Formats: sequence, C-alpha cells, structure tokens
Amino acid sequence: MGSHLVEELSGKHSAFLETGTQLAERTRQRELTGFGPLVVANALAPLFVSGGLERGHIYGVTGDASMSLLFALVAPATQQGSWCAMVNMPTAGLMAAHENGVALHRTVCVDVAATSGHISNVLGSLVDGIDLVAVRSAQCSSAEVRRITARVKAQGSVLLLVGNTAAFSPDAVLVARTQHWQFQTHAVSRTVHVTAQGRRLHAQRSCVVALPHCHGGVPGTP
Amino acid sequence: MSRSIVIVFPQWSLHHGQLGEEHSFREFEHVVRSVMSVSPLVEVESVGVIVMAARGPSRYFGGDVAVAEKLHYLCEQSNTNTPWGIGIAHSRFAATVAGHVSVVRQRPCVIDPAISQEFLSAVPVGSLAQVGNISANTVSLLQRLGLRTCGDVHDIGEVALIDRFGTEGKQVFRLVSGAEVRHLAPGAPPSDFATTIEYETPLSSAAHVVAHTRPHIDALVSAISSAGQQCTRLLITSETDHAEHNSRVWAEPRGFGAPAIAQRLLVQSEGWLSQADTDPDAPTSGVVRVQFTPLECREVMVTQPLLWGGHQENTERAARAVSMAMASSTAVQISVPQWEGGRDVATVYSRLPVSLVDLADAVGAVQRVQVGQGAARHWSGSVPQPSPALVATQAPHVRVTDTHDQPVVVTGRHELSAMPAFIYVAEKQYTVLRTGGPWPVEERWWDPLRRRRHVRMQLLVSHPHGHQLVFLVALEHQQWSLIGRYD
Repeated sequence: MGSHLVEELSGKHSAFLETGTQLAERTRQRELTGFGPLVVANALAPLFVSGGLERGHIYGVTGDASMSLLFALVAPATQQGSWCAMVNMPTAGLMAAHENGVALHRTVCVDVAATSGHISNVLGSLVDGIDLVAVRSAQCSSAEVRRITARVKAQGSVLLLVGNTAAFSPDAVLVARTQHWQFQTHAVSRTVHVTAQGRRLHAQRSCVVALPHCHGGVPGTP
Repeated sequence: MSRSIVIVFPQWSLHHGQLGEEHSFREFEHVVRSVMSVSPLVEVESVGVIVMAARGPSRYFGGDVAVAEKLHYLCEQSNTNTPWGIGIAHSRFAATVAGHVSVVRQRPCVIDPAISQEFLSAVPVGSLAQVGNISANTVSLLQRLGLRTCGDVHDIGEVALIDRFGTEGKQVFRLVSGAEVRHLAPGAPPSDFATTIEYETPLSSAAHVVAHTRPHIDALVSAISSAGQQCTRLLITSETDHAEHNSRVWAEPRGFGAPAIAQRLLVQSEGWLSQADTDPDAPTSGVVRVQFTPLECREVMVTQPLLWGGHQENTERAARAVSMAMASSTAVQISVPQWEGGRDVATVYSRLPVSLVDLADAVGAVQRVQVGQGAARHWSGSVPQPSPALVATQAPHVRVTDTHDQPVVVTGRHELSAMPAFIYVAEKQYTVLRTGGPWPVEERWWDPLRRRRHVRMQLLVSHPHGHQLVFLVALEHQQWSLIGRYD
C-alpha cells in the first residue's frame, strides 16, 4: 500500500488524475490519428485545455465581438486545410473574414429557413464532411439537438454556435467583450477580452487578444 | 498452376454505380457474402470480379460442374438482374476469360484440364489487355506483329518475349502459358486487434451493453492508433447466453473513433434486442459476449488531413457534405464567396451559388477569392481596414444628429454640417465618442442613370452597458443608414 501511495504521489501511477506526461501522450496519440484538436492562433490557445478546438465539441461564441472572434478562431484551421461552413450568416463580413485570415476558398455560406426541421437536416449533413460549422441562432427541438450533437461527436467536427446558444448545451462558451478600441483617424484595432467557461472546463479561462491582428503566431504556418 | 474459379459481373459498375463507387461496392458485398458460403477464402479483385481457389470447393461439392451450378444458383439469388458469368479453368487468367465467355452463354463455363491449353491458345490477344493487366501498347504491338491469339504468342517463346518487352514480356508469357501470375489473396488475415468482451451477467438492454463495453472500445481504439493505424471496417458480433449470434460489418472511410464504434454497437444491439418475440431471429436471452474484429486497418498517414496533399481529401469530403445538405432540404441555398472588388463593404465579396462551381477544383477556388485577382488595387474612397465583421444586407435607416439634435448632413464639398453627437439605431440612442472619415464616393458621375454619390463614416459610440462599439454608417439621398458593424 505504502509503495503504491508513493508511486501515486510521485505521479507515476494515478487512479483518477492524469499526469502531465500522460495527457501529453494522449494528445500526441490523437494527433497521430488525425483526430487531434483543430489548431487555433497562439493568442487564443490558452482558452482551450488541449490548445485548440476539440473535435466533436460544440462551442458557443457570444459577446459584442463574436463575429471577429469566430473568424479568428476558424482562420488557422481553414488555412491548414479544414473547411468551414457559415450557416445563416448572410451578414457576415467576408472581407473581414479574409483580413482575419480565413481561407475563403474553403468556406461555404449556407442559408436555410430557420425552422427546426430544415436546419437540423442541413446541419446534420454539413457536420459529416465539414470540420468547422458555424451557425447563428439555430432553432432546434431537443430531439434534433441530441441528434446533431451525436453526429458532431461521431464525425469529429466542431460546431460553433454564434449568438443564442440556448437550445444546445455547448461544451464551452466563449464570450468576447471589447475592452478598448484603438481609434485614430479611423478604427484601427481593438483589444478583446475573451473568456471561456463550460462544463468541460473546471475553471474559467480567459485571455486578452488584439483583433483582427491575432493571426501572427499560428503554429505551423509561416 | 492452380485451378481457379472466377465470377465476373462485367456491367456491375454500370448497373450499380449511379450512386457512386462506394455504393456499388456495398451492393457487391451482398454477392460476395453469399458466394462465401461456398468458400471462405474469396478475393474481390475489383468491383464485379470475385476470385477463389477451385480445389477445396470442387472436392466438397463433388466436381467443378457442381460448384459452378451452386455458384450460378447463389448469384441468381443474390443478384438483381446484372449479367454474370462463372469460369473455372487452370489459371486465373484463363478462368477470367472463361467467365466472360460464360456471360455471353449465360451458363457456367468450365474448362476441362485436358483441353485447358487448347482453350488458352484460342483466346484472342486483346484479352491480355482487357483482363490480364498487360498494357494496351504492348498488346497492340503484338497484334500489329500478326499475333492474333495467345497460342501464337506462346509459340514465339519466352526468351524472345523477354528480349522484346522485358518484365512485361515475361508476364505475358506466364499468362499465355497458363502459369499463375498473381496468387490468391484471400480476405484480410485475422486481425491482431480483435477483442472479445465477456459479461458476467447477461445484459438485456443496448444501453447497458454499450456502457459496459465502452472502456474496452477505448482500449481497442488506442491499441489500433498506437500501432499507427486506424480501423476502417469493423465486424461487431454479439452473442447471447443461448449462443444466438448477431454480427454486422460496419465501414467508416475516415476511420473509427471510440464514439463511432460505440454508436454502431448501440444501433446494432438496439435493433437486435428490440426484435419482437415472434421473430425467429429474436434473442431469447441477454448479451454475454461482444466481439470486435477489425477487418480493415490502414496507415493513419493516408487520411491525416494536415499532411501535404491531404487537403484534397478534405475538399472531397466537404463537397460531398455540401451536396448532401442541398439534397436534405429544399429550403437551403449554399454559396461560395467570390471576389468582386469595389468600395462597398457589402459587395466586395459576392456569393456565388454552389451549383455553378466545382467545389473539388482547388485551383479555381483560390482564384475565385483572390483579392484583386492578381493585382491588388486601391479603391479611392474605400473604407480603410479593418473591415466590419457584420455588413447589412438591407441597411436599416438610422438618425445621426449633432449636439442640438439637428440631423447631420454633408455639403456638396463633402464637408459635415456639424460633428455627429448621437446616433439613433432602432430608437436606441448611442453617444458618439469619435468619428472616422468621412469617406466620400462619387461613382459614375458621367452617367445620369447609374451615378451614385454617398459618404461613409465610422462612429465610435459608447454602449449603455459600458463597452464601445464602432458603427459604419452611410449617407445617401439625405438618409443615414447603418451599413456595417465592427462586431
């Protein structure tokens, strides 16, 4: 018993908690199988336990800088080959998306009647083949929500809910609040305080990023 | 030399390929499954061609003719009026040719060992290209040399063929002399990763089965992935206390993760366990054993999406998903961005209906969205970067006023009548802290019909909740509208 306790305390063997090396090993294994998290900008990485958008998870993106945060989140992944679908976002500024680094040649815009039957079918089909599916205020019944959630998990895609996340139960909700606008002769940039909280995180995580210029430090891209 | 049985469906892809290659493969699997009752070692050479060794089945069923009749019957049962042929001969090549002959004759074609060399000699040279995997150039050269049949080619001799054609010549000689060029590669060898899970008490609900199996699934998936592989086809077999079996093969082209396996197990168990008692296949007891047999594993590298060259697969998947989404609902419009340019933030990128473009065309897609299409161009009077993250499709009208609540206007010389102090959006008042611009635009002033004159401004306003917002407003025909928001 004694030696077991020593081992457990020294981190070699733990029944309940994962040690840092074990976590690193697990993460590496998943990256090897192609199911590792989708890469995000370095500045935003502290918001995520695994340092990126976890496949199979549902994220809420809200706050007064939600669109800019959405673009910043998906940009590195789209540059590295993932596709992104923007569902029911006819007002998304595609020029802003481009400036944030979103690879528009791997982006599709989907407009669908917001009634529940239609949107759940379309979301279900999209998550089958598109890694990042962003949707604004999806109205779905709870049965459809369960179906979509299961499909997202099975396919390993990421569903990002912009604005109202009430119908779904997201794994984490990212709230982006503008702290300060740097305004000279025109709006130049701003600092945004982003917090992440949710049932997958035991403590609230937060970071302060400059948008739209946080795409400087994406790992793996020049 | 090994006597082979070949079953060919020359038009399988034509009949079943409308819904894609994968679909025709899946349909073909039914035929393969039924044929496997004759011999467990079956090689599916391609969709529509099944090869097996003749020796075992022939002994078991009492002769080649009996096997052929049996196979003919099985194909008739499992097949949906696609023509087929069964050939039995002393080599794979000869048997394939015999299979094609049998398609025309509509009954099995069994070549007796005594006449097999004669049969092969009479086969036209063109068959070497069609079923023998010899390049068309070589075959056409043989034909031009006046060699009409395989017998003619055989008579030249191996040395001359190797002299002239090298390795391929050797292969040609082996084919025409009836030697086996390719050995039978029967179905996947038993997998190292096969896992059997036993329960102490019979489980009668699918949810319980999945819950008790989940840790083992995780272990299975991590064992496969730590070998650098991923499973794409998996056989799940469950067995009850009364030795009733239920097995099904599941395929997942992207590779199975643990949740995907759990989901398949749930679906399979639910369907089986919830069968009515009257059903003869219904289980009479709970599940005591579940077995996972990975039938097909492949190197992870093949699908790793981030490696060089992996993008195309993502693109194909996305294209498939988009077409599925279009089919799943009538009320859906899918578009892709296309660079248009111009000063107007809302129309810098237009949206092109996806039905007009080929999503799989990566080069075209890059060109479609390239800013300035090669040459970056500065549009005078355009709003400086960053661009608004939200642009209105139908800009709502707003009121912009000065400190005395008088509307702000712009003179003919693009001068503001007063500094904006308040903006009313949907009757909600925001205090203007700073302004950017104005950026005046005079477009096509020479054309009285298409001329357009407007001015844009950025307004930094304070939100009642304390934070700051930036609006992009435009004044046209004496009317301010909110054309964008820096969301």
